[in-house]
Amino acid sequence: MQVTLSIWQALLIAIWVALVESRILGFATLMMRFSPLMTGMMVGFIMGDIKQAMIVTAAIQLVYMGFVAPGGALPAEPAIGAAIAVPVALIGHMSPHAAIAIAVPVALLGSYLYQFRFFLNTFALKPMDKYAREGNAHGLRFSIIGIPALISFVLFIPLIFIALYFGAPVISMVITNFAHGTVIHVLNSVGGGLAALGIAIIMQVIGKQRLLPFFFLAYFMSVAFAALKINMTIYAIFGVIIAIIYVSLSQKNAKVNN
Amino acid sequence: MSDNPTAASKKDEIQSETGETTDHRIPQPDPITNKDLMKSWFGWWWANEIPHTFDRMLAPSFCFGLIPTLQKLYKDKDELAKAFQRHLLFFNTQATWGGGTLTGVTISLEEARAKALANGQEPISEDMINNTKVGLMGPLAGIGDSIDSGTIQYIFIAMFLPFAKQGNFLGALLPFLCFAIATFTYGYYFTKMGYSLGRSAAKEIMTGGRMAGIIDGLGILGLYMMGILAGQYITIRSYLKFSISGKVFNLNSILNEILPGLLPLVAVLLVYWYFQRQGLKITRALLYLTGALIVLSIFYII
Repeated sequence: MQVTLSIWQALLIAIWVALVESRILGFATLMMRFSPLMTGMMVGFIMGDIKQAMIVTAAIQLVYMGFVAPGGALPAEPAIGAAIAVPVALIGHMSPHAAIAIAVPVALLGSYLYQFRFFLNTFALKPMDKYAREGNAHGLRFSIIGIPALISFVLFIPLIFIALYFGAPVISMVITNFAHGTVIHVLNSVGGGLAALGIAIIMQVIGKQRLLPFFFLAYFMSVAFAALKINMTIYAIFGVIIAIIYVSLSQKNAKVNN
Repeated sequence: MSDNPTAASKKDEIQSETGETTDHRIPQPDPITNKDLMKSWFGWWWANEIPHTFDRMLAPSFCFGLIPTLQKLYKDKDELAKAFQRHLLFFNTQATWGGGTLTGVTISLEEARAKALANGQEPISEDMINNTKVGLMGPLAGIGDSIDSGTIQYIFIAMFLPFAKQGNFLGALLPFLCFAIATFTYGYYFTKMGYSLGRSAAKEIMTGGRMAGIIDGLGILGLYMMGILAGQYITIRSYLKFSISGKVFNLNSILNEILPGLLPLVAVLLVYWYFQRQGLKITRALLYLTGALIVLSIFYII
């Protein structure tokens, strides 16, 4: 069976990827992102060869079994990998394993796109502060859903469409050029450093300078014990115990002083 | 207000007799029903990752879910605006175990605050609401990530993978539907549970006279969790290498010998120090920090 990819098919796949990566379908799109299966199925529907698409996707899925994203950062975007690799495999009658070889680097590049989405959101969502100050629920709703959804569509649809339309050789070239380039390095550094802002905001909001030693205690605990990979819940239990000890001791002190 | 002939309206009358011009009486909140809890849970569930940003993470989605409920609780425009603003601050957790539970808990605390404000009593403070969220979001996310994305998701995928291998589309559709329905259902259950737990806790806090101790405790827990997150999320390292008389020095390993984790800590403290001096100017801090990170990383200093 001869399978080809028309402009419309490429566009439909690109729109599907934007739906998944914008997370506009709710929390459950988590699985559409983490697993290539739904994307593979949609590609199969769009290209008219569900059976082969599912066989290829099942092979890709095995690579990404057990992927989790602590704190929201996934090291790859299997859905993007599948969106490119499955059509390429169907057109070229490639084996599932050859499809994996395309999917893995594309998925890696996809994770930078997803990070870049966060980066754009960080700046574009500013109007929500203004609407919150005004108590304007409509404006707030629009800036929380409308703006980021628009960003995702503008970001993902053209890129995936171009990638599909111009094919695999271009993709592999782009990946090798970018993977070790300065652009990716800058994105990584900015992404890794901006978390400092959110944390400093909360510290300022909690506002109790005399309690800052507890921040330092926890910071150096997590740095010192990084290699032990201590579970967040265990850290939290330590925190609760420390807080209880401090509060009961300081209340005891207050009673003695009175 | 006419539908609420309680002690509050008596107080309102007294107030309106004394001074009409500076009338700051706050209207009674509407009662919270299961439908409101469902609305807020659905809002958070839907918005969840859409507005993810680097500096606030999932706070906008959390705020989005609370919008209809906060509108029922705060008929006073200023209080509503304050509530919107406090729920736009940094927040990150997992969707069902963390977000569901905390949506419920937060609604119960906001309800207690709104009622107290309307009745002219000492309300639960904004700090208390923030610190409860901040203290609980990390541990609940830890549980949720490992159960939802780490276990439940892959159980469903593994169950139906044989279908996919044979080329049947049910191998994709069934795990997705199972996962979507299961997580939505128990997430709502967590929301309801969080709400009733929070209500009993709020009552005890308000009547027990232990507010100061609890706020301190939550402040400690909040700062402590920020310390842990700072250690795990902020990844700043130096790539600077220089050579002095033929010997190559690697700045990152030198810094690590002096004090491991120095650079991320410096970044947090610089921003914190900026806020201490200039007030909470988030947009400016964001621009300065981004600019600095871009410049430093272009030259591979970090």
